[in-house]
Amino acid sequence: MNGLVYRNLKMYFNDRSGIFFSLMGAMISFILYLAFLSQNMISSWGKVPDARLLLDPWLIGGTMTITAITTTLSSLSLMVKDRESKVLADLSLTDISYIGIQCSYLITSVIIGVVMQLIMYFIMGTYFLIVDNSTFDLSLFPQILGIAILSSFMWTIFNLLILSFVRKVDTLGKISTIIGTASGFFAGVYMPIGVLPTTMQRIMKYTPAPYNTAMYRNILMNSQLHKSFKDLPASVLTEFKKIMGISIQLHGTLTFQQDMLIIIGFAVVISICVLLISSISRRLVISRV
Amino acid sequence: MKLLQATSLTKKFQNKIAVNSINLTINKGDFVALLGPNGAGKSTTINMLTGVIQPTDGRIDFDGRTSNNCEYKNKIGVVFQNSVLDDNLSVKDNIMARARMYNKPTQIQPLINKFGLESIWKQKYGSLSGGQKRRVDIARALINSPELLFLDEPSTGLDIQTRTAIWNVLDELRHNMGLTVILTTHYLEETQNADYVYIIDQGKIIAEDTVDQLQKKYTKNILTLYYQNGEPKNITVSDKNQAIQILSKNSQVISDFAYRPGTMNDVFMNLTGKEIR
Repeated sequence: MNGLVYRNLKMYFNDRSGIFFSLMGAMISFILYLAFLSQNMISSWGKVPDARLLLDPWLIGGTMTITAITTTLSSLSLMVKDRESKVLADLSLTDISYIGIQCSYLITSVIIGVVMQLIMYFIMGTYFLIVDNSTFDLSLFPQILGIAILSSFMWTIFNLLILSFVRKVDTLGKISTIIGTASGFFAGVYMPIGVLPTTMQRIMKYTPAPYNTAMYRNILMNSQLHKSFKDLPASVLTEFKKIMGISIQLHGTLTFQQDMLIIIGFAVVISICVLLISSISRRLVISRV
Repeated sequence: MKLLQATSLTKKFQNKIAVNSINLTINKGDFVALLGPNGAGKSTTINMLTGVIQPTDGRIDFDGRTSNNCEYKNKIGVVFQNSVLDDNLSVKDNIMARARMYNKPTQIQPLINKFGLESIWKQKYGSLSGGQKRRVDIARALINSPELLFLDEPSTGLDIQTRTAIWNVLDELRHNMGLTVILTTHYLEETQNADYVYIIDQGKIIAEDTVDQLQKKYTKNILTLYYQNGEPKNITVSDKNQAIQILSKNSQVISDFAYRPGTMNDVFMNLTGKEIR
């Protein structure tokens, strides 16, 4: 299994243009923010002191979620390519079992998701440190790493479920485009969740994306929230958190722990679906040569 | 000594029968060729023998093991018709990653030497020439020191030097290590060195024997006379005496002549009535 994980990792990191395109969704959100979103939001939160310093980690949080979604998808797409080009049939000749082959793709994808999220975190953190004098608090790193692992696992399973139905590389390209674009909305980066219509908000809450973003934002924005809102009434802070998607409203306001439990819940349910489908798709893989 | 036996092997795809009740017996150390035109069912047969697809009917027996057995897979090496190696990875990564997918220890250095891979070891597989790629493919198929090597149309698109080089290495492996080779091909000259040939057409074995026997059974010797006006004439003759008779009778009117025994090409033509290649 080591051999296959090694090969899959090499396949991802050797493909420069593949890495670039898997970060496309994240880069779009970053550039859109720099170009005009930040200015818009800062003017609408003019009464909050140091709004810019609040919005920088706010953007980082959302972009990390997008990165988790798109890089794990890009990594898992190797599985579809391998299925189509008969590499899976060839792998079945080695000592790795069918389950082992599946797990190798999963492990690779989780590793890639974590690594790419951390890279994005350091790139954006450094950028805002230089440009906006934002704080880059290294003591948050263990928590960031924890969330990165959880979200990477969550989105690997999620994308695996979607890719279970994909048989052609051609379809794969179309799906990546849709997911790449949609992830920005669902993660609440292109627009804060609070300004969207209620129906849209409800749809978003049926996906793990807003909870994932909320977890990141809770950690990343915590200290600046205390600083900025210390002289303002508590209701303004609650309103800000609600509109900006730092606390998700679901029968009340969710805490960080509840966000995490919801994500774990999603992961468990989707894992069960994947297991059920994989027992069917195993036959498909073997019969397809 | 019998190594592999396939009995009434059949594969149906929806409503098409790709392979229809084929029987094969492969002896240890032999070089066996499956010859047939495109679409005859050669690759399907190989895929069944390698356990990549399951036969609709029939059985495969390899030293008492069936094709979906783990130990069976450990004893075979396969070079697929379309390469399954990764273009983006170096030769080294392709080979070493594969070696780590087997539980038993593997010997890589002898393969590097035999197939001359040192010079291309760090190059990306995708940047290699067709011949270099084939050398890597075969070396990779031999990583687990298989007893039986399957080659599915290995020399399609290769130049004569590369083909010869590959065959020399395979011959050496056969003689030194008792490797058994099963080859599918539509190149008739490749079957010329085979110990045993199965000719497949439309999913059925239409003839099987050693090359000599096939030539004896299905061809006649051909004598070509070139008349002085430049016109050639082909005459099939049963033996040399008949040829000498014809030659001496015509010695005044011919400018030249050619005499050749029947080839696998003639065998194939006589059996199927169609030209291949």
